[in-house]
Amino acid sequence: MHLSDRVTGGFLVLLGAFAFWAGSRLPAVPGQDVGPAVFPMVIGGGLMLCGALIVLGVGRSFEEPDPEPTEAHAGLARWLGKRRVLAALVPPALLLFYVLAADTLGFLLTGFAMVLIAALSLGATLRLAVAMAIAAPPVIHLVFYKLLRVPLPEGLLAAPWA
Amino acid sequence: MGTLLDALAMVAAADVLIAIMASAVYGLVVGSLPGLSATMATALLVPVTFYLSPIAAVATIITASAMAIFSGDIPGALMRIPGTPASAAYTDEAYAMTRKGQAELALGAGLWFSAIGGIVGTLSLVLMAPLLAEMALSFSTYEYFWLALLGLMCATLVARSSPIKAIASMLLGLLFACVGIENPGGVPRFTFGSTDLLGGIEVIPALVGVFAVSEVMRAMTTPEPPPLPRRRFGSILAGQWGLTKKYQWPMWRGNVIGIIIGVLPGAGADMAAWVSYAMSKRFSKEPEKFGTGHPEGLVEAGASNNASLASGWVPALLFGIPGDTITAIAIGVLYMKGLNPGPTLFTERASSMYALYIIFVLANIIMIPLGIAMIRLASLVLRAPRAAVMPVIVLICAVGSFATGNNLFSVMLVGLFGIIGFVMDRNGYPVAAMVLGIVMGTMVEQSFVTSLIKSDGDILPFFERPVSAVLAAMAIAALLWPVLVWAMRRLRHAEPA
Repeated sequence: MHLSDRVTGGFLVLLGAFAFWAGSRLPAVPGQDVGPAVFPMVIGGGLMLCGALIVLGVGRSFEEPDPEPTEAHAGLARWLGKRRVLAALVPPALLLFYVLAADTLGFLLTGFAMVLIAALSLGATLRLAVAMAIAAPPVIHLVFYKLLRVPLPEGLLAAPWA
Repeated sequence: MGTLLDALAMVAAADVLIAIMASAVYGLVVGSLPGLSATMATALLVPVTFYLSPIAAVATIITASAMAIFSGDIPGALMRIPGTPASAAYTDEAYAMTRKGQAELALGAGLWFSAIGGIVGTLSLVLMAPLLAEMALSFSTYEYFWLALLGLMCATLVARSSPIKAIASMLLGLLFACVGIENPGGVPRFTFGSTDLLGGIEVIPALVGVFAVSEVMRAMTTPEPPPLPRRRFGSILAGQWGLTKKYQWPMWRGNVIGIIIGVLPGAGADMAAWVSYAMSKRFSKEPEKFGTGHPEGLVEAGASNNASLASGWVPALLFGIPGDTITAIAIGVLYMKGLNPGPTLFTERASSMYALYIIFVLANIIMIPLGIAMIRLASLVLRAPRAAVMPVIVLICAVGSFATGNNLFSVMLVGLFGIIGFVMDRNGYPVAAMVLGIVMGTMVEQSFVTSLIKSDGDILPFFERPVSAVLAAMAIAALLWPVLVWAMRRLRHAEPA
């Protein structure tokens, strides 16, 4: 997701403008000039200025490009080829899956699926991925549920100590 | 004397000692894994500290961060991959020493001088904090505003990226801090009708997302680094006393620079290491040896980054202004545990403060034996395939963020901040500046708006008090510094032509 400075800078200008506009519409505290509107407006102004400077390419001489890695890609990144940046969406997607599934499936099953998918995407062998998916969730459950008393969902498969 | 005994009793409690040992091992392991930074190690610990006693909670943060900063040197020296950004300054030097067959000396120097730096830094914290607390009692909102702004500006200087992008990141963080009803008017701001957003954006999910989830995302798209060759180590500490005597002067200079940089709000271990390494090269009698496996820079920068870690707690404890991302997390924990930062902390909770000093010293002492064990086990730990470590991190991110409030909304926030952090990092926007913006947003706004109300909307009173004028000058200088650097570069380029 290498975006050009024009795109990111332009986005910041829009975001700043929105913050400035939305901030200016906030209700004031009666009898006072300075209220909740001031800070977002100052930030909005600053963001617009920075965004414009970034679009114009000011300050680019301070940046150093990252070196391209030389090793071979593995797992999902290799399979995706040129579109490998899409593999980055796996972790947030897994977190979304946790939000949606944890209450029905329970922590252990959700955790099993998450670790399995993440490990396979990173290029683990099936044996390693399954072993991690079976071993890791119970250990984490034990630490958070037993030691820290976090109410983790039971769902379809409850841990024996729950 | 009574308070000191109280403090000793506090630290000697079983839960505190267990917390110190466990977090020491945790910090050493996580810090040594490339890609898992000291900040990430500390961020993932926060949900755990929720459930500990105040002293145990602070102890885990102190111990884990000190250990992680040291053990970041290990993959740096052995594989030329810094474990944490604070080790990056001297990674090439340490790796050159390993290639010359001096891996023991390089790692031992990292360990020995980290521990010395940590202890000297702690002494500076003990001496400086109460003195500055006296001064801080007379601070008004103007001083707090400039101090906070100075911290934010320093954070943008530390990032070795475009200063404009760093400032933009910081402003973005401040904008995130605006969300919610905790503002001067108590009105819902940028909540878009969502009740989950009324309470504002919590710092912990943002931290975990930016530092942990986006790191896993990066791992998904980059190839795995080559595995570490197996090796047997000789004695780790042999030769360190010789180095200490030979490079006594650079060592002390490293300690002092680390302390000064740590005390500056917004500048922490990363900057201390870079500045000290550069200083060491500049003032060395044999600068031509730097980069070829010469321990002098290692001594100075290794001492410096750990010294800054302790002195970074000075602004954190006194003003609630973080020295770097690690103390930013620590401040969150302090608030959570009822140890609200402020000058009165040193008078009202003196025994807790002494306990904190003792924990610092203790952590740096046990660092030496545990560190030696870690170096010997390194070839084992560093062989753990990334495909086995990263999935577990994802699951811990989910559980950890859920644990902070027992709601699933924060798990969503973690994912969202993972994406934000990933996109920002890819495009040269430093994420640490954004995180400091989120952490300090409420405080900056409060001091800014209160000052404006007091001055009736006038800007002049911001500069009228002597201390605030000095702080203002420093903050503005930090803002103009990149312009100066740019102008100097232009001049230098123009000369030979």
